[in-house]
Amino acid sequence: MDNLQELLHGFTIAVTVPHLALMAVGVLLGILVGVLPGLGAPNGVSLLLPLTFGMQPVSAIILLSSMYWGALFGGSVTSILFNIPGEPSSVATTFDGYPMARDGRPTTALATAFGSAAFGALIGVILITFLASWVAQVALAFGPAEYFAVYFLAFASFVGMGGAAPVKTVVALAIGFAIAAIGIDTVSGSVRLTMGVDELVKGVSFVVAVMGLFGIGELLVAVEEEFHARAVSSKIDWREVFRAVGRLPRHGVALLRSAAIGCWMGITPGGPTAASFMSYGIARRFSRRGRHFGTGEVEGIISPETADHAAGTSALLPMLSLGIPGSATAAVMMGGLMIWGLNPGPMLFVDSKDFVWGLIASMYVGNIVAVALVLMTVPVFAALMRIPFVVIAPLIVIICVVGAYSVSNSYLDVVMMLGFGIVGYLFKKLFYPLAPLVLAIVIGDKAEDAFRQSMLISKGSLSIFFANKLVTCLIVGGIALLLLPLVLQLTRLWRRPASPAIDTPAQEKVII
Amino acid sequence: MISRRALELATAVLAGSFGVAVVVSSLDNGIGWSSAGVDAGTFPFLTGIVIVLGSLYNLVRGVLSAATVANVPIAITSIELRRLAGLFVPAAIFVAAIPLAGMYVASALYVFSVLAIPRHQSMPRALAMAAATALALYVVFERLFQVSLPHGALAAALGF
Repeated sequence: MDNLQELLHGFTIAVTVPHLALMAVGVLLGILVGVLPGLGAPNGVSLLLPLTFGMQPVSAIILLSSMYWGALFGGSVTSILFNIPGEPSSVATTFDGYPMARDGRPTTALATAFGSAAFGALIGVILITFLASWVAQVALAFGPAEYFAVYFLAFASFVGMGGAAPVKTVVALAIGFAIAAIGIDTVSGSVRLTMGVDELVKGVSFVVAVMGLFGIGELLVAVEEEFHARAVSSKIDWREVFRAVGRLPRHGVALLRSAAIGCWMGITPGGPTAASFMSYGIARRFSRRGRHFGTGEVEGIISPETADHAAGTSALLPMLSLGIPGSATAAVMMGGLMIWGLNPGPMLFVDSKDFVWGLIASMYVGNIVAVALVLMTVPVFAALMRIPFVVIAPLIVIICVVGAYSVSNSYLDVVMMLGFGIVGYLFKKLFYPLAPLVLAIVIGDKAEDAFRQSMLISKGSLSIFFANKLVTCLIVGGIALLLLPLVLQLTRLWRRPASPAIDTPAQEKVII
Repeated sequence: MISRRALELATAVLAGSFGVAVVVSSLDNGIGWSSAGVDAGTFPFLTGIVIVLGSLYNLVRGVLSAATVANVPIAITSIELRRLAGLFVPAAIFVAAIPLAGMYVASALYVFSVLAIPRHQSMPRALAMAAATALALYVVFERLFQVSLPHGALAAALGF
């Protein structure tokens, strides 16, 4: 087993004092951004990004990924204790987590959530351990046409399975592509889409976009509603923690099913949010106690949490082995990889073995560190929620402004960040998905390059995308996913022509 | 207050005009096939077309299906609008003040005015928080990470 040997080597990199300290720092910062509404994993990670430029890549990625785990856990803390999801992906946890905590069992709810989250993450990491290098090996044989086909499949699966209105997803993706194209074209060297603003020659950094879209945008959404933090007791009873975790194996079916849903949604870019909702919905339908969901059912906590973390973790698989991130946060991390001078994709497994396996090993350790830290710090972060929102909001604005400025010391970036904030607010309000937009900004250039290179090889003929079985399958699969919403719409019309889409508003709530 | 329909229309128009700008601007780079392969403007041109077409669809859908999304006819109520403005307007003024006042002075003024003017906090506490914010920014960025934040025209005039 080559993989296991590499993994052991990875552990020797990950389990060192400086790296363990970085994990602890990352997890704590992650819980902080996860707990604070308006700050989430994507912009938390992009805030830290400029500070990692002087680090070793492996240390930097350990810090950033630990922050990601912390944010995933932090989001669940506020969902359960305050009924306020700190992260979009932990909305489904509020359905049963808050009722259970309100009924006087906050420790049980938290321990169940963290235990199943850790299980989901573990399954995700095991999947990465065994699949990632294999996928990378297959991908080593890829030419530009195959690459473009994989990108195409990734974008198409957002449209077909992302859950948001398909045309809105397409528009979000296309806007992302256009933003990615701003600046100097890497192939021809000509300047594109600057609209007469000279400073745009350097392009629009995804960090600026993420700060605005997720930071200011989410803040504007949060400020709309009066902010009540009515906390249930946040005291942790340690004996109950172990009892609750001990009871988890009884729900083995729910755990495994949710982990499978999560891994699938993470690898195909459905993302953690869609995964947790889907898992919750399926659990409610198939559980024997499905009728009691919403009143504090254990499986109602297990299902979204397991899927959320399984998806969040396995979203790193396509990022590492193909260079295609499975979630918005993974997209930001991939941007970091490129800034550190690494080339995300299959070559990573050949050129930077230490980096890849150090990261994978750190995922095992990081999640254990995260569970321990989050349990210990629940009272501290719960107290943080009692700070009035009017005090936190300007601080988050300042953090976003400074974060956008420090990317390239440009005032224009700050102004653009504010603009992205308005766009983020509008998009969130109207259910345009944000993850595809960020994904397109980060990998739009690469997709375009792959397309143009394959056109150069084939001298302008599209037949290169049907030249062999693999590339044909990928392209046909992508087209099928693109057409899926249309087909579903048509069959729905066919079945009951009289009732137009009444179910859309209900559906819309589930997505973002 | 703002209706869901108006918001959908505004967003579609905003996205659509961005698409038009992309299309027009990419024509300068040339579209299609030349001796050097696919021209630089082709890809942005296509994405621009997609944005325009998609926004047109969303625009039409926003007008027609307003009846079916009737259970959320109002997107932003007037109270919500006031809260939004209460957050965004000071933030925009803060950003506008940065070139003149510099990051430190601007952020301190921003925190102070947001907390003290609507009387969320008492004067001395707002003052303390404003000072702490500026100081924390200075220590973290200028000292720890050696990142220079803008000092502003005012500071330059005073010789900092």
